[in-house]
Amino acid sequence: MMIKADNITVCYKMPHDKIQSIKEYMVALMKKKLKYEQFRALHGVSFEIKKGEVIGIVGSNGAGKSTLLKVISGILRPTEGSVSLGGNVVPMLELGSGFDFDLSGRENIFLNGAILGYSEGFLKEKYDDIVAFSELGDFINIPVRNYSSGMIMRLAFSIASQVVPDILIVDEILAVGDAAFQEKSYARMVELMGHGTTVLLVSHNIDQIRRLCDRVIWLDHGEVKDIGETQKICDAYMQTQIR
Amino acid sequence: MKTKAARICAIAFAAYLILGALFYLVAGDSLRSTESLGDSVANKSTTGELHQGDVLMQKFVCEYDELTQIQLLVGTNARKNNDVLTVKLFDENGEEELFSIEKSTADLQDNNWMTVNEFEPIDDAKDRVFVLRIESKEGKAKNAISFYCGNTVDTGRFSIKTQVENTEGVALYDSGSQKESILADEEKTPYRLCMKVGGTDYHLVGQYFWLIYGIVAILFLLYLIRQVICHRKGKKTLTLSIVASFSKYNFLIRQLVARDFKTKYKRSVLGMFWSFLNPLLTMSIQYVVFSTFFKSDIPNFIIYLLCGIICFNFFNEATSMCLMSILGNSSLINKVYVPKYIYPFSRTLSSCVNLLLSLVPLLIMLIITGTFVSPAALLLPFPLIMLFLLSYGVGLILATMMVFFRDTQFLWNIFSMLLMYLTPIFYPDTIIPAYFMPIYRLNPLYHVIEFIREILMYKQAPEPSAYLWCTVLCVIPFLIGALVFRKNEDKFVLNL
Repeated sequence: MMIKADNITVCYKMPHDKIQSIKEYMVALMKKKLKYEQFRALHGVSFEIKKGEVIGIVGSNGAGKSTLLKVISGILRPTEGSVSLGGNVVPMLELGSGFDFDLSGRENIFLNGAILGYSEGFLKEKYDDIVAFSELGDFINIPVRNYSSGMIMRLAFSIASQVVPDILIVDEILAVGDAAFQEKSYARMVELMGHGTTVLLVSHNIDQIRRLCDRVIWLDHGEVKDIGETQKICDAYMQTQIR
Repeated sequence: MKTKAARICAIAFAAYLILGALFYLVAGDSLRSTESLGDSVANKSTTGELHQGDVLMQKFVCEYDELTQIQLLVGTNARKNNDVLTVKLFDENGEEELFSIEKSTADLQDNNWMTVNEFEPIDDAKDRVFVLRIESKEGKAKNAISFYCGNTVDTGRFSIKTQVENTEGVALYDSGSQKESILADEEKTPYRLCMKVGGTDYHLVGQYFWLIYGIVAILFLLYLIRQVICHRKGKKTLTLSIVASFSKYNFLIRQLVARDFKTKYKRSVLGMFWSFLNPLLTMSIQYVVFSTFFKSDIPNFIIYLLCGIICFNFFNEATSMCLMSILGNSSLINKVYVPKYIYPFSRTLSSCVNLLLSLVPLLIMLIITGTFVSPAALLLPFPLIMLFLLSYGVGLILATMMVFFRDTQFLWNIFSMLLMYLTPIFYPDTIIPAYFMPIYRLNPLYHVIEFIREILMYKQAPEPSAYLWCTVLCVIPFLIGALVFRKNEDKFVLNL
């Protein structure tokens, strides 16, 4: 078993107004207006994923897809329940968020690689591959703040897709760069999946999910509505979306 | 992997043995005992010339474990006086004579201290009352010395006079009348002789150093063996998980420190040269201000100032960088799992690089001012490590507070300014009123800076209590910070 989610519940304590200063807090405390609203982003989510499976996660906005990915990648600790993982995780959530815009592309490869948990030796070995895949050429030595957004995405994808992780978590990233690069990155994703990597894929692109996934988890208002065979779930999900 | 753990432990143990012995070599003397000289009352009046047969009697309390010397302020009327004084010391009741010395007055300078130390040190003297008896053997008019006396003490550099309370004055037995009279001013406040009592304090740490060293070595060895065994069995202990986490994230920490350092001076012309320049320029300004506008009589003021500035700058920079470390990296924290303590830690570490760089101008100034360094400077890592722990601990608290209350940054600006004035950076700690000292002493920066000054300016290892103060006041904030951070780190994501 690669991923075992057991009854995951995530509660946010949401104050009615966002209180961000001591003064506001004190005032609210005095007026006894400090009421919280329990907001359940996830409620009792349980599932098991076997090694090498490609799992799609579908659901409308606010269904808890991103929260679930955050819990699995360890960023968010669930209020209740637990997740056990059978290997290392590489999350591809919002690429390029670890970039420092004052540093050059080269320096960012090492910084971002370190954040993703790569070792120094590995990065040095793969450095040429990363630059080649990103098609940045000589731009690699200028600060990232001078890059176009497409270039940043290309570099970020190149770094993130270097390693063959046990578990890959992907949040809507298959539309990176121009058409040619999109095709290339798509091919790389398929290649990664072919290596026996367990993949969790969140996408609003149902066609992509139909093509890539073995099984699909359907989240609705923080709860698992259905888990099962891709085509069946996708059909059912699309039914609710059309209405 | 298994032999590696054993090897690391062996290295740690060897390092302990070597560092411990080295420490004793450098700081051993100060650990065993401290020589001190007490304060005298300010001179206000004199006893008058001491003629043949005249006797002065002064009771005093010794504050030290061992009484080694007594200094007396004498007046010679700027001439050579050929008198011989019999100086005797008695116990409280005046029954037992502890020593009797004959002192010639021929070589005494006017308004100078006469040192009486030609006696065997008197041990077990702590808090004991002694009576000093001075008798003139051959004093005649215009050929005798006088002693100064007073009833106030100077506090601070503004010479505020404070009345000495509850003290027995100096008694004068006139040879003619054989009648005792206590010297006093118009308000009948008795005068004391202007005298400094010198002595030696012994410290248990120094006397039992090798015993303590041995016991700690055994405990440390047992502890290391336990870690190795746990490691072999695959059990987790706190130390093992800390070590594992640091070796795992070592590369990331290095990258983050390098990033901070590169981006800090990225688009400036002088680049990292600013790390040298900054403390030097601050020092120059404060030196000009405090050596001309506000006169300061601290010896070697440049070094005094520089020690304070470097330490405070590091603390200030590290804590304000830590303050923003969680909030500023919110995009990362929301996307990738990295232990969150890494962010403030790397910030503190990059300030540390700055601190090490600013030690270079300090070294240069030490050479220029002719102070140079002594073996005691080898103790420098100790206060620096303590300063690091303190800054990291405070930084952890601030980073946590900042996530929940954005006011923290403004409050901290004000607070760090207050702290700057509460730290003896450009003034001597003697200007602090005595009643305020107990609170003033709670400032950890005070102890760290004084520690550094002691080893660099006065070139001696501090007494054991200095280590204790530094350790306690720096480790406590660190532990509080670690605890606060740990309790709240899971809630960060929800509040960013």
